[in-house]
Amino acid sequence: MFEDVKYQIRNVEGVSEAAAMTFQTIQIPTSLKQERVTAVGYEIGKIGKPQNIISGRELAREHYEIVVDTKLGFKLDDKIPLGRNIYTVVGITKGAVSSSGEALVYISLKDAQQLQFLASNDTIRSDRARGIKDTTSTIVNTIVAKVSSGYSPKDIAENIKKWKHKSAYTNEKQVEILTKNVIEKSSKQIGLFTIILIIVSSVIISLIIYTMTIGKIKEIAILKLIGMPNIEIVKMIVQQSLVLGFLAFVAGNIFANAIKSKFPKNVQLLPEDSVGLFFVVVLVSVIGSLFGIYKALKANPAQAIGE
Amino acid sequence: MSSLAIKVENLKKEYITKDSTLQVIKGIDFELEKGEIAMLLGPSGSGKTTLLLMLGCILEPTSGRITLDDEIVYEDRWILKDTRKLRREKLGFIFQAHNLIPFLNVQDNVTLLPQLNGIAEVEYKKKAKEILTYLGIEDKTNYMIGSLSGGQSQRVAIARSLANDPRIILADEPTAALDKERAISVMELLRKLAKEQEVAMIVVTHDDRLLPYFDSVLKIDDGYLTKTKASETKLH
Repeated sequence: MFEDVKYQIRNVEGVSEAAAMTFQTIQIPTSLKQERVTAVGYEIGKIGKPQNIISGRELAREHYEIVVDTKLGFKLDDKIPLGRNIYTVVGITKGAVSSSGEALVYISLKDAQQLQFLASNDTIRSDRARGIKDTTSTIVNTIVAKVSSGYSPKDIAENIKKWKHKSAYTNEKQVEILTKNVIEKSSKQIGLFTIILIIVSSVIISLIIYTMTIGKIKEIAILKLIGMPNIEIVKMIVQQSLVLGFLAFVAGNIFANAIKSKFPKNVQLLPEDSVGLFFVVVLVSVIGSLFGIYKALKANPAQAIGE
Repeated sequence: MSSLAIKVENLKKEYITKDSTLQVIKGIDFELEKGEIAMLLGPSGSGKTTLLLMLGCILEPTSGRITLDDEIVYEDRWILKDTRKLRREKLGFIFQAHNLIPFLNVQDNVTLLPQLNGIAEVEYKKKAKEILTYLGIEDKTNYMIGSLSGGQSQRVAIARSLANDPRIILADEPTAALDKERAISVMELLRKLAKEQEVAMIVVTHDDRLLPYFDSVLKIDDGYLTKTKASETKLH
């Protein structure tokens, strides 16, 4: 949409403030590689400014300043070449990610539009020769608005839809869309991978327990010979499997927490996920011990004597 | 209660294959008194281990009757349903290799059976201490099995077989892995146990030198068994 729509929105009754924003996926050169990030263009001093700044400040000048996320590894005053210009890092945020988990960088709206629409001189010359007119740099992705107290955001969204013919969403609706369409889909995808990993883990645990049982088959035969009931033997194997599973769970949790910040996209590890995982580990450990138990129960106590 | 610990009557064991029937034990009868220690002899493949497994309620005979400690356990079928319980409570086993559980220490190996029999911790620990002291290895209580010598390991195996106060001990070549001095020491110990605790013992051995430590000799050959007094037996 065109940037001037913000003036129309600002004039809607109950809207106290409206500002334009842009979002674009760009690659920025970090010390290691080109990193894919989402660049947010916002109007300085208006709504949409970066949250959770842990060092430095938000943008103060209309040009060539940038706020980056700590995940990208930049320091204050670092220089980042983007498009035709070089930007200076003036602020660093923590945990600022897009809906797809990519790190966010913030630049001024003007810079963002220029970055998106101002092509290189060669491209402009080539486009003109082909009869393509200059693309406008006043296009934005969204207008964000603040509602005055006493007004319902839902009613105002309806009003904008009805009279301005634009899609308008309240904060709650945005969260719902994001949760349902983006996060839920990703969760399902991750869930599928998790199921595959759990199956693979079960097979690995089964093989380990089976191999360990085979290695102790003589001892198991001795235990049966001296009169140990099957239930005690089953308990021992399940305990062994649970101990292995528990150690793997602890090691996995420590490892996951240690490396989560290194992931290119934001990874959230919640305590309830760990609790859920714990129960899955218990279940997988028990299932994984079944082959070993079968082998142990088949062990002949006569093996302990042998002729 | 009779003075008999083991009574075997017309015991047979056949192995039936697709083409033939192999009779390993062809109907044997013998009795063993409480506190009697018997040497079980026989050439390889004569059925010594088969007999030991049948007496230990591990291998089902084909027919006959086995009475252990005044209880008929087999009469053409298992009379006793839970044979493992019988082994846990009345039988003790000693093997050629000590066959101890390597990931448990001496005390845990010895107290394994009393624990399974539901004996209180204080009691079974006290009992284990008594047995280990009796066998002269009380200082090894907390040692892991891997750190013991062959003789010490065999003593722990004997301790384990005694921990449940067995009425019968079945030993399969318990001295085979030991040198002469240790073998004699183990046999002296077994004899002492048999006499002091009235435990009947059947010991498989090929070592003629150990004959003086036995009361009787069970000689099994070609599926038949003969019992003679050790003092009247000459071995070649």
